[in-house]
Amino acid sequence: MADLPLAGIRVLDFTWAWAGPFCTMQLAHLGAEVIRVESAGRPCVTRAIPPFADDIAGPNRAGYFNQYNQGKKSIMLDLSKPEAIDIACQLVKHADVVVNNFAAGVMDKLGLGYNKLRGIKADIIMSEMSGYGQTGPFKAFVGYGPPASAAAGMFFGTGYRGGGAGEIGVSYPDPNAGIFGAFAIVAALTHRALTGEGQYIDQSQLETAVVLMPEGLLEYEMNQREPERNGNRDAVMAPHECYKAAGDDEKWVSIAVGSEAEWHALCQVLGQPALAGDPRFKTAALRKQNEDALDEIITAWTSTRDRWETTRALQAVGVAAFPAMSNRDLAEDAHLNERGYLVRLEHPEVGQRAHAGIPWKMSGTPCAVRSPAPLRGADTEEVLKKLLGITGDRVEQLRKTGVLA
Amino acid sequence: MRPQIYSEACLAVENHEQSPFKAIKIVECGEGISAAYGAKMLADLGAEVIKVEPPGGDLTRRRGPFPGHKPDPEKSGIFIYLNANKRGVVADLTKPEGRELLGKLLADADILIHNVAPRDRAAHGLDSAALCAAYPKLIVTAISIFGDTGPYADWRGYELTASNAGGWAFLSPGASPSPELPPLKCFGSQSDFQGGVHAAMLTLAAYLHRLKSGKGQAIDVSEQECVAAMLEMNFMHWTYAKRETSRLGTRLIGPWFIADCADGQIFVVTVEEHQWKALVDLMGNPEWAAEDLFKDRLLRGQNQDALKALMGEWFSTQKVQELYRNAQGRRIPMAPVNTMRDLYDSEHLAERQFFAALEQPGVGTLRLPGRPTQYGRTPWSLRRPAPRLGEHGAEVFCTELGVAPDRFNDLRKAGLA
Repeated sequence: MADLPLAGIRVLDFTWAWAGPFCTMQLAHLGAEVIRVESAGRPCVTRAIPPFADDIAGPNRAGYFNQYNQGKKSIMLDLSKPEAIDIACQLVKHADVVVNNFAAGVMDKLGLGYNKLRGIKADIIMSEMSGYGQTGPFKAFVGYGPPASAAAGMFFGTGYRGGGAGEIGVSYPDPNAGIFGAFAIVAALTHRALTGEGQYIDQSQLETAVVLMPEGLLEYEMNQREPERNGNRDAVMAPHECYKAAGDDEKWVSIAVGSEAEWHALCQVLGQPALAGDPRFKTAALRKQNEDALDEIITAWTSTRDRWETTRALQAVGVAAFPAMSNRDLAEDAHLNERGYLVRLEHPEVGQRAHAGIPWKMSGTPCAVRSPAPLRGADTEEVLKKLLGITGDRVEQLRKTGVLA
Repeated sequence: MRPQIYSEACLAVENHEQSPFKAIKIVECGEGISAAYGAKMLADLGAEVIKVEPPGGDLTRRRGPFPGHKPDPEKSGIFIYLNANKRGVVADLTKPEGRELLGKLLADADILIHNVAPRDRAAHGLDSAALCAAYPKLIVTAISIFGDTGPYADWRGYELTASNAGGWAFLSPGASPSPELPPLKCFGSQSDFQGGVHAAMLTLAAYLHRLKSGKGQAIDVSEQECVAAMLEMNFMHWTYAKRETSRLGTRLIGPWFIADCADGQIFVVTVEEHQWKALVDLMGNPEWAAEDLFKDRLLRGQNQDALKALMGEWFSTQKVQELYRNAQGRRIPMAPVNTMRDLYDSEHLAERQFFAALEQPGVGTLRLPGRPTQYGRTPWSLRRPAPRLGEHGAEVFCTELGVAPDRFNDLRKAGLA
């Protein structure tokens, strides 16, 4: 642990739901000590919704929480009580980073705004990750992941050919805000290491999503045209589709061809080498023009074959093919298991279950998930004792008065 | 009212000279979006990035969007967006002469970011272990679709591959009534962008480590794994409760749908009961809303078709932006299905100075999506147009790295630089 990039960094984590916890999980992966502040009065939504382990409900049995809080500690503090705010302020003295994803202005109202915190610790890094940012006419708007996808233009751009605006399957702007938030905090830590200065970070979930829409925005900026919805098709490459594979409605295989060599290899595997010279498909531009006919030919071939058989045959000749993976496919995938991506640490209430792990490897500072997600409040006493020297009767008293709830 | 300190700090973003990242030197190789975006994030904070392109130019130069839809390698919108703030050189890394030029760049660099596929790396002089041995202080960040190890390490992939391999496409669009339609990729290049954002974060984390230890290292980022970590609670539906989730089926809760308004579309969702009550009130408390069919969010999910038809009448009379404000004023988390124009016209984004103007020679002034994050102290700046192909070759190789001008001209004539 001493060798991890964020070893020695302590994060006071006031986040909840998905975006914020996804951010602080990255910091835990990188070696920071992340102390998640929870309360019974405002329980995290991810502890309260399915899936629960074996469908038995309970705050420590929720997959959503246990996935995105791996490697963290948990303490209970009822922030509606002045004594809890006082404890939070004392903890700030021992923290490098304070993060939250409340609505704009909430930390100020709680008495935990940046001006207060920098008074406690001059080089504190404070990151606020709200839906719309801390300024601007919409700063008070409620930002959830699915509406954020709509607001960012992602629904408008996504959809089947000839159909309406589509949803995108997951609340992508949430983890996206989380990963941008983690980048910003690592950047601020770097800034601090180079200059000694802490700083305040204002991040808008909407803006972190809109920066990922350049293809659509620049089409409008350059040509005053909105992007066309085109299913899985690409602006340049063809074939480029998720094709029906043998089996039920859930069996599909994606194929994308980006060069002439790949196109020729595909024709060989299809058993139709003559296709490569077919005047309809001779160049990428022609394949794009005659994409409907091309997709029909490929579907006729893929739809009678197992998706993995297709994948292996095409990958063997350097063509990008891969099945549309389900949750079960991912959990059972030989590659992800061999890479050690899937994490199955022993959790006191749910035992060993596969979780998505760390999507990177660092040769000099090998990251690993060091502990499963914490039981609610599991580390309250330890943190109070270790950082603030609060023990025994004082803890009992704080418990009785509901401060540690 | 926001305390003065925030606005002072957050809006003082244009001063590149003050950036502590100015001293960080980055070399970027490979093509497409992932490595270019990762390097862009660091360039925007002030780092000096040299982009190395193959002699034919980066593939994004051929992808557009282009002004007037006329392909021109110096006018590609996506290339300009990804590569403003960088200097550009050409080196053919498949040839020894090109790799020699790369060596000169790396000897002078802190960081290399690239997305050359694992099976092609040795041939491009980009084998991670070899680079770490040759340049012990260098941070080598490599992005790929499947990562550097494991049974699929040598497989090919693009954006479409990663979004399918990571499990996202399988879930999209969600609650689809059409089993004959395939899993659907999200707009744009989201998996590649995620590879880039992760790479940028990890590169700085490794740089922080190097400040303490003096050592570089190699980083392996897998786009498949980045995507698989972003599936909301879907992965755990299998590992916690043995349920396979999919793009088909129905929404668990309602309302949850895209509604047609008089002048556009809005995404309607209420999660909490108080939000639903506020919406019913906003709709003028229609009688049907009191029916048992719509009593709680689960029932509203089950009876969403009926709900949609009933709500649709009222929504069709509403104007999107007005409804958005009215709903949000009552804490209802709706948002418009914004078009690109809506985003450019957004008064909120305008007040936050989100879009950033870039003067790109030959193209004119472009409004680009700007800073994803507002920093109190670290300056974010857009200070240099995207490079023309090979624009800074002589400046970088001859003036700065001591390659003899004659030698450089020979390499250039041979198409290697």
